[in-house]
Amino acid sequence: MTKFNTLLVSTAIAVTSVPAIGLAQDMTTVNMINPLPRSTNFYPLVVGEALGYFEEEGVIVNLLPSDTSIPYVAFVQNGQADLAMLDPVETVNALNAGAPINTVYEVMQNAPEGIGVPAGSDVDSIEDLVGTTVGLVSDRDRSFLQAALNTVGASIDDVETVVLGESGPTLAAAMRDGNVSAISGAAPDWISLIVNGIEVDLITPPELLTSPANTFAANADTLEEKRDAMEGFLRAWSKGMYVAAVNPEAVAEMLRQAVPEEWENEDAGQLYLDMSIGMNLSTTERLGDVQPDVWNSIQPQFLESGAIEEIVPAEDFLNDIYIEAANDFDRAEVEAEAAAWMEENQ
Amino acid sequence: MAVSDSTLSEGAGGGLSLRQRRILTHAGIFLTLIALWEIGSRAGWLDPLFYPRPSNILRSFWLIYVQNGNVWYHLYATMILVFAGFAAGSILGVGLGALVGFNPLVRRFIKPYVIVLEATPRIAVAPLLIAALGFGAPSKVAIIMLVCFFAPFINTLSGVVNVDEDRLELFRSLGASKWQTLRKLVLPDAVPVIMAGERLALTAALSGALVAEFIQRNEGIGSLILVYTRNLNMASAFACIFTLTILGFLIFRGMEWVDHHVAFWKHEPGLERVGRRRRRKMKEALDE
Repeated sequence: MTKFNTLLVSTAIAVTSVPAIGLAQDMTTVNMINPLPRSTNFYPLVVGEALGYFEEEGVIVNLLPSDTSIPYVAFVQNGQADLAMLDPVETVNALNAGAPINTVYEVMQNAPEGIGVPAGSDVDSIEDLVGTTVGLVSDRDRSFLQAALNTVGASIDDVETVVLGESGPTLAAAMRDGNVSAISGAAPDWISLIVNGIEVDLITPPELLTSPANTFAANADTLEEKRDAMEGFLRAWSKGMYVAAVNPEAVAEMLRQAVPEEWENEDAGQLYLDMSIGMNLSTTERLGDVQPDVWNSIQPQFLESGAIEEIVPAEDFLNDIYIEAANDFDRAEVEAEAAAWMEENQ
Repeated sequence: MAVSDSTLSEGAGGGLSLRQRRILTHAGIFLTLIALWEIGSRAGWLDPLFYPRPSNILRSFWLIYVQNGNVWYHLYATMILVFAGFAAGSILGVGLGALVGFNPLVRRFIKPYVIVLEATPRIAVAPLLIAALGFGAPSKVAIIMLVCFFAPFINTLSGVVNVDEDRLELFRSLGASKWQTLRKLVLPDAVPVIMAGERLALTAALSGALVAEFIQRNEGIGSLILVYTRNLNMASAFACIFTLTILGFLIFRGMEWVDHHVAFWKHEPGLERVGRRRRRKMKEALDE
């Protein structure tokens, strides 16, 4: 047999064996749509992968990071995504539009969103924004600004808004040169500015700081279909989240290896991680637990600001079906595994 | 007599060929611009938010290619997409172009739609393609295919339609079949034009891949650029952008090389090379 034929045969064997291997391990793919690729911002995913927790659960994570004009919830409805990371306003608007979704896990219980102004600026409260131009990192930040303005009796019509985009240089120039009075964005946006010497003061209303963010929504009609895989996915996520509480150094090292592009500047990477831990670590007793009280208390603000059209009772869409299983793991074992990984990789 | 670089170099001063002198001149211009950029950055004339120092960009090249090595995976992902999308766009473009070119009825119905499609901004269609085809490679390839389909289509159409009328008449009068006319006249005439379309398509495929990666951010140089710019790491973002520039240049040159070999009869050196090979073969046959 010629070399070429040998190559053809071996390629054919390799290609046909891939599905067989997959079947033998009985792995299930969980498709998750969110705004960012693997990142320090969502470190539980990176930690879960580094420690093999997703694999242990028989789950392959297919991340669908995207920036499309089509709402994420549409991908849950058409079955392309099993889980979508949604903000509260997106969730309520989707429900009001008739999307049959349930919020099953709160990834962040302290909103990463905020309103930032240049340090030393004349603007030092939300009231001062009235009559000025406010920058939005993306169109998704408009609703947060609306809610923030509503806390002082103002509306989105009282300010000019301009979408600046996620590009660091544009945000930095807008902030530094005073083209906008403030920027409505999220924690990662401030970090890059701070690290590059542009000081930012946050004037976010305290009542919005406890808002959940990036919550996992799933199709309410198919919650049972993939139950094992979803529970496994969320348990691995919870374990990853927990590691940061007990061994942040290990988390930092895992991130350095998995997303070196965010750690080229060590100070920036560490600041990013510190901020992300604060946002990701659950404040509820059960990790990722859904909080009906919080959802019911934030919705009137969204309604008044015009960000949502109707309040939806939290009991109608919050579903803790997976929470018990997501928390069913041995904390001590996870601590030991993180320590062992650190020893091996230091 | 053809005048080549080597003949010009005869008698040139300094012992350098014209080609070597050209390379040195370009290198000189490039280094001067880089030096001015570095000086401008250090002197504070250039905004560091937008223009990182070239020395920092050089350091970033080292970081992303050697120290961290994180660019390789993304580079691989982008190139796979570029070639897959280019292949799909080319096959569709050349195939449809030939079909439309040969058949006036099909041309009347299809051509207006293709032109409308070309006028539609691909970036606006991209989210719809993702919704229709799903996340992952298929929708990315479809975006690139749409970006690079038009040049091969229009060039094939033009090549097929604009066959020399006198030669076509000659083929007809000699009783050539349709297949013979296609193989011996239409295709040889159209190939150089088709190849020009392919050159444009392959360079456009790189832009298409970036559009796809800006929307679906899981992998590829486009997604890496987004991470770097978001983090204000402009030196590394520039290293990625220059990587794309170099790739684009190499791709263009590569396609020129392919063009010289496929449509060899349109290029003097290619014609000579093939002529030499054929003469040698003929001589061998005669010797036997």
